[in-house]
Amino acid sequence: MADIATRRSISFPAPRGPALLALALGSAAAILSLWHLSALLPAHRWAEALLAPDLTDMTQVLFHYSALPRLTMALLCGAALALSGALLQRVLRNPIAEPTTLGISAGAQLALGTATLYAPAAMEFSREAVALAGAAAAMLLVMALSWRQGLRPVSVVLSGLIVGLTCAALSATLILLNGEYLMSLFIWGGGSLSQQGWSDVLALLPRLALAGVAAVLLMRPLILLGLDDSAARGLGVALHATRFGVLLVAVWLAASVVSLVGIIGFVGLAAPTFARLAGARSPRQVMGWAPVIGATLLWLADGVTQTVAATQADLIPTGAMTAMLGGPLLLWMLPRLHALAGPTDAGTASTGIERDARHPWRLVAVLAVALPLLCWAALTFGTGPSGWTAATGDLFTQLLPWRAPRLAAGLCAGAMLATAGTILQRLTGNPMASPEVLGISSGAGLGFAALVLAVGTPSRMEQLAASTLGAAAALAVMLLLARRSSFAPERLLLAGVALAAFCGSVLGVIMASGNTRAFQLLGWISGSTYTLETSDAVLAAAVATVLILIVPVTARWLEILPLGETTARSLGVPLGSSRLSLVVLASLLTAAATLVVGPLSFVGLMAPHLARLIGLRRPLTHLVGATLLGAFLMGLSDWLSRTLAFPYQLPVGLFATLIGGPYLMWLLARPSGSKGG
Amino acid sequence: MTLPTRRAVCAAALALLVPPVMSLPVAAAPVEAASRVAAVDWAMLETALALGVTPVAGTELVHYRRSVVTPAVPDEVADLGLRGAPNLEMLLRTAPDLILSSHFYTGIRQRLTRIAPVHISTINAPNGRPYVRALTETAELGSLLGRAEAARTLIDDTEAAMERHRRTFRNLRPGPILLVNMGDTRHVRTFGADSLFGSVLERLDLANAWTDRTQYRASATIGIERLAETPEATLVVVEPTPPGVEPVLTSSPLWRALPSVRAGALVRLPAVNPFGGLPAATRFADLLSRHLTGGTADG
Repeated sequence: MADIATRRSISFPAPRGPALLALALGSAAAILSLWHLSALLPAHRWAEALLAPDLTDMTQVLFHYSALPRLTMALLCGAALALSGALLQRVLRNPIAEPTTLGISAGAQLALGTATLYAPAAMEFSREAVALAGAAAAMLLVMALSWRQGLRPVSVVLSGLIVGLTCAALSATLILLNGEYLMSLFIWGGGSLSQQGWSDVLALLPRLALAGVAAVLLMRPLILLGLDDSAARGLGVALHATRFGVLLVAVWLAASVVSLVGIIGFVGLAAPTFARLAGARSPRQVMGWAPVIGATLLWLADGVTQTVAATQADLIPTGAMTAMLGGPLLLWMLPRLHALAGPTDAGTASTGIERDARHPWRLVAVLAVALPLLCWAALTFGTGPSGWTAATGDLFTQLLPWRAPRLAAGLCAGAMLATAGTILQRLTGNPMASPEVLGISSGAGLGFAALVLAVGTPSRMEQLAASTLGAAAALAVMLLLARRSSFAPERLLLAGVALAAFCGSVLGVIMASGNTRAFQLLGWISGSTYTLETSDAVLAAAVATVLILIVPVTARWLEILPLGETTARSLGVPLGSSRLSLVVLASLLTAAATLVVGPLSFVGLMAPHLARLIGLRRPLTHLVGATLLGAFLMGLSDWLSRTLAFPYQLPVGLFATLIGGPYLMWLLARPSGSKGG
Repeated sequence: MTLPTRRAVCAAALALLVPPVMSLPVAAAPVEAASRVAAVDWAMLETALALGVTPVAGTELVHYRRSVVTPAVPDEVADLGLRGAPNLEMLLRTAPDLILSSHFYTGIRQRLTRIAPVHISTINAPNGRPYVRALTETAELGSLLGRAEAARTLIDDTEAAMERHRRTFRNLRPGPILLVNMGDTRHVRTFGADSLFGSVLERLDLANAWTDRTQYRASATIGIERLAETPEATLVVVEPTPPGVEPVLTSSPLWRALPSVRAGALVRLPAVNPFGGLPAATRFADLLSRHLTGGTADG
């Protein structure tokens, strides 16, 4: 019976596209490698250095123990990540699934950071075991969170994203609190392929081989998993067991790579996509070609990295370079992408656990009352030199100018991000859409980073201008790309992820350099309201008021667009122009908010979800509820970030993620009495 | 805890709209010799301490006690939190009449000024010679704090120590020095000519083997394979080294093949603040001299 489903996909010969792509990438990489190697050691001495290196000759040592292992490692890591990505994309039926989007890499990194600080003995014992434990814990958490939804693809990815963000926030907090001591975490975050012997290669090789065998054995059920759940079940696939097995293999591969060289994002996303773009049709072809393309892609990226690094004193991590190469390439090829992987069941209702509140406006009223209460508490209570105090009278007046602007700006930013997130989630019909995911925040971050590198210690106005320009540029790229596909939601999302990965990689390069400016950047990226002045607060309030008041006008679009294109057209909603207006509105909201709290708050992802999970599902109540929740979340974060570790101040964006992430996890995992379809 | 009065709330609403500088008591007259000093910059903090002034507040004191070590910070100094984000509420409540800051804090300079007059250090500013700047700035800080005499003594003592070490090294002829700080098992951080350590090497007439660009923060993160580019240099590792690095390095063929390691000439120094002032410079020179001239023998 399986033959019916698989006969077409086994039909070899395979299309020539993927082979040509791999050949092109591979030959470019080979030329670069040969050039580097011959610059290190004349070609006629390679055999000697390879077989029996003279340990007193430094160039031979470098050739044998640094250059060759690095080259091999690039190939192995590329293949491992690509296979991991291909498996994840297949099993989750989601084209943007890869180790970094599922929280696996972030979990591993958090484990490494925590162990470095609190259990150094574990790090002495085995860094790899620590990373594997972290990655496995993150994945288990993701599985646990989405178990109730029967490990449905969208739930898994959503949980993965939340777990990943929470882990990343915790890692950033560790770095901030422990300063330069965690230089290693910066480097791991960037993913450097520098080698100092063959031990890493020998560690990864058997793992990759085993995972490859496992992937071949799991091929048949995997192909059937591409069908929808009921069809696959009907054909006798043990859904949970298969998914669990495939996820395990994918996590194991990704964790091995993270533990050895750090986070190399994007290869797991790009390689399977490239394989499909180049003409690989069947799962078997994608699964077969993705590792080859991944290996050559990372090989090439590392070659380019070394070429660029030769002109720079600073370390340039290869992980960052992959995204710099792959990002634009993916953006360019996107309009040529005909079919995204398998049937997607993404949709606003797809998490399937929310229910309508009986009195939605009452809920909104409760939120509306809670917000001023929070503001009063945040302005009055705080930690002082002698513990918690309520500021009254003179002290209140004296502290107010220091507490009010950041609280006000934080509230506005939270509200704007939440509104933008609601718009984007309804527009794309995808619960993972958020301003952070669409790359607009990253664009603003990139503008800021460029300024910090160019000027060093920029003024407040220069910072604002640079961030706005960055956000606008990112927005322009997104609009340009999206227009070609008349703003089709999936492409918008994929383009956004590519753009975010690109911007993120540039920031990664700066971070990995360990530059003291990296700390300036880290402070802003992790979302600090610390630097906000009264003028910022007034500006944020004005922009927020104007933009948020426009949004209710679009309520009808937001009601209809999630129902699908056909319905929308038949109800007379102009698809192109309505989507354009909504995207522009969301981008403006995001840009303004990002300037205030940095690009890493994730309130835009969480607030709309929270609003829906408590039962606000109609567009208008959803919008108002999410906006209030976003403001509340950010206000609470600002208060806590200021007081909890007093006098040490933590970035508000991190706190928003740390508060919202676990709560969202709890909401996802809790038993739900009335499961709405 | 009483509720804020209506007047306070009105004042609060107003304060949101007018520049807060109006609602704050600002230090009226320029201070002659500041008595309540707060230091947000570490180089300034240690210099003030070395001049015999105990600041009312300093940043990241827990970390300071662990990695700067000398001069010690008394317990009564209030902690202002992270260097990257000094707690302004706390700063306000310690009521300083002078704030010692640096070029790292240009972004919050305006707001620091609203609390008290600000003195800005450029010791570790980009592309400078931190040691030379530190000599000048110590004198400046001395007169600012009414400790001109102490500053004179500190400068003379430091210079005398440097001169003594320079003569020792002239006889020793140790060759070029490659200063690194271990990042992880595959990466190190080097210190260039524009770092405090680099400019101390210059003062001691020692050659710094890292001549490459170290933009903006006086140090560069590189892969350990690049240590092989300067085979003639003596490798000096400045602590702290992250846990788990040592065992991997000792079994790494590449690390073991490095000339310094192979010859057993690797030197390890305890932690020194890389962004310090004269006290850090002296500590670095003392440690370097002690460890280069016969390991621990010179105790």
